Amino acid sequence: MTGLLVVLSAGSLIAPLASVEGVWTQDAHPLPCRVATSILIERSLAADFGLAPGDSVAIGSDPAGPGCRVMVAGVYEPDADPAELARERPRIIMHLPEVAAMAGRDDEVDRFSIRLRDPAGANDVAEDLVALMPGTRVLRAEAVAARASTTFEVVRRFHRAIGIITITAGGVFLACIMTLKVQERRSQVAALRLVGVSRSTLLSWLILEAALVSVFGGILGIGIGSLASHLINGFYQRAYQTTLEFSIVTAETVWIGLVLAVSLGLIAGAVGAVRLLQVDALAEVGR
Amino acid sequence: MLILRYSARELLRHPIRSGLAILGVAVACAMLLDMLMLGGGLNSSFESLLTTAGYELRVAPAGTLPFDTGATISDLQTVRTGMQRLDEIDGVAPVLGANLLLEGPDRPRVFVLGVDPTDQGIYRLEAGEDLRSEARGERGIVIDRELADRGLAIGDAIMLQAPGSFADARSRRGEFTIVGIADFLYSSVGERSAAVSLGTLAEITDQPDEASLLMVRLAEGADPEYVVMRLRSDFPGLEIASVGQLVERAAQRLSYFRQLAVILGTVSLIVTTLLIGTIMAISINDRYGTIAALRAIGISRRSLVAAFALESLLLSLAAAIIGLALGLLVAGQLESILSDFPGLPAAIRFFVLDPGRVGLAAAGVIAAGVLAALVPAIRAMNAPIASTLHREEP
Repeated sequence: MTGLLVVLSAGSLIAPLASVEGVWTQDAHPLPCRVATSILIERSLAADFGLAPGDSVAIGSDPAGPGCRVMVAGVYEPDADPAELARERPRIIMHLPEVAAMAGRDDEVDRFSIRLRDPAGANDVAEDLVALMPGTRVLRAEAVAARASTTFEVVRRFHRAIGIITITAGGVFLACIMTLKVQERRSQVAALRLVGVSRSTLLSWLILEAALVSVFGGILGIGIGSLASHLINGFYQRAYQTTLEFSIVTAETVWIGLVLAVSLGLIAGAVGAVRLLQVDALAEVGR
Repeated sequence: MLILRYSARELLRHPIRSGLAILGVAVACAMLLDMLMLGGGLNSSFESLLTTAGYELRVAPAGTLPFDTGATISDLQTVRTGMQRLDEIDGVAPVLGANLLLEGPDRPRVFVLGVDPTDQGIYRLEAGEDLRSEARGERGIVIDRELADRGLAIGDAIMLQAPGSFADARSRRGEFTIVGIADFLYSSVGERSAAVSLGTLAEITDQPDEASLLMVRLAEGADPEYVVMRLRSDFPGLEIASVGQLVERAAQRLSYFRQLAVILGTVSLIVTTLLIGTIMAISINDRYGTIAALRAIGISRRSLVAAFALESLLLSLAAAIIGLALGLLVAGQLESILSDFPGLPAAIRFFVLDPGRVGLAAAGVIAAGVLAALVPAIRAMNAPIASTLHREEP
């Protein structure tokens, strides 16, 4: 990748080379129906229209026109690239001269990639090319990737902020429940203290109970989260016709979830237990 | 009043429990408000942006959205005259867009719009003067704040160069004098925009009689949907859409945010219901003896259920007030994150404050809280008085 440069015309979007999207003009030349012609079609398009290799289809830039007959040479699965999601889909891949003829843009491209003999000199070559070709932009492959991923970087930051709010809400919820759970035990605790059970034993008992509730709650939450992740992937993979994974439950996610659940539960349980053990046992049982 | 005092006292008797519950519900309420703002805000913000200039229809090359690609509408004058013949159309404003390079140390890219200064809805002049005409000889240029912040000022001369084939790229350039500074309504964050006369830009980019976009202003009382239908029939090679249709398409492209808003809004309501339900269930369980005693001395079930519902209402109300304030604060932070979203006009807002949505969030949380309290309250009312009194000492 390091050795790749991408040259863009200054007016172009970062668009795939072999796509006909957005190149139609009113005065486009009529499609000359050049001999050849075979195309590759995206899997989702093949599925929607029941197309298979060897089938013949008509394509053209004018919906009302007759188009040109071409043969489906193959069906392809697009790369699982998030940057592709927002673009026009589904797609077909054609030979470059045929796309150019159909778009009325002979001898033009939106961009081309250059493989260098010496990747280390990419910056120097880029500068030379800009001087040589005014009106074009020459970008390193890394820069193209960074531009393409801007949307996802913004979405990632948005998700992180939402995640922080959710964790805060979950944390308060957990603290609340654990406090209530401990307080529910107050008459039992008072009775046990009156029969001689030590404060440390009772404290351990209450904290252990809080830990168990937190662990089981955490495990259940991870189960629900995994199921939700599965449903989200199913929904969006169908919606966008892609194999891309939209939601991944990683070991790190599971670990963070469990640690948060248990530590928050333990803290809330311990605080509630300490407060409970300070209450006068006789008064608590009404004597 | 007695019931209200009793409910308030019960809440104050357990300050930690009540405080945590209020805090938990407040966070859920904040989330609900933000999701309601996100769910509808994008559409209303987009619609407001599109209608602000006073043009009800947009015309772009077939199969594209305005400025989505480099495609253009050809035979501009014929198309423009043809459209203006319709009684329902008050004006047609052509816009040609092109990326030009500003001559200077780092040759920044500038999105230049060719307009008819007497009929345009692309920018609002903030300082200086407007362009004088749409003719070819006009050499004035109106720049945006991004360019002004680079040290350019009214009266300065700048050179813009068009991209093109290797052979003629050096010849297609133009020198301009900055005449004004404007707010470009549809510019995205970080984009540098400028406006020149339509004729001059067409000359530099070698696109005579072409436009990237036509903005159509309707006569008073004209039905946009009817005019769209009529224009589609008269100009089949063009993409014609009303503001409503464009908003719908934008909403489809950004449907992810709407779906997220629905999911998280629903989760927030569930969390609120669970939290208040749990707290009220435990609180009511603690008071089975008291409830039985009150019923034994003749207090009606209805009054007791009302007391618990009121207790929950007070809890939810306090949480809603804090939650709404928190929600507005968080919405500002989330907006600043999403304002970097590429390709969207900077004027677009994801989170739009609407009193209706604020009211809906508060009502949702309060209703969820009251309903959550009813289940344990009604169950407590059905407990047998004698055996409860025997088992529990109030």
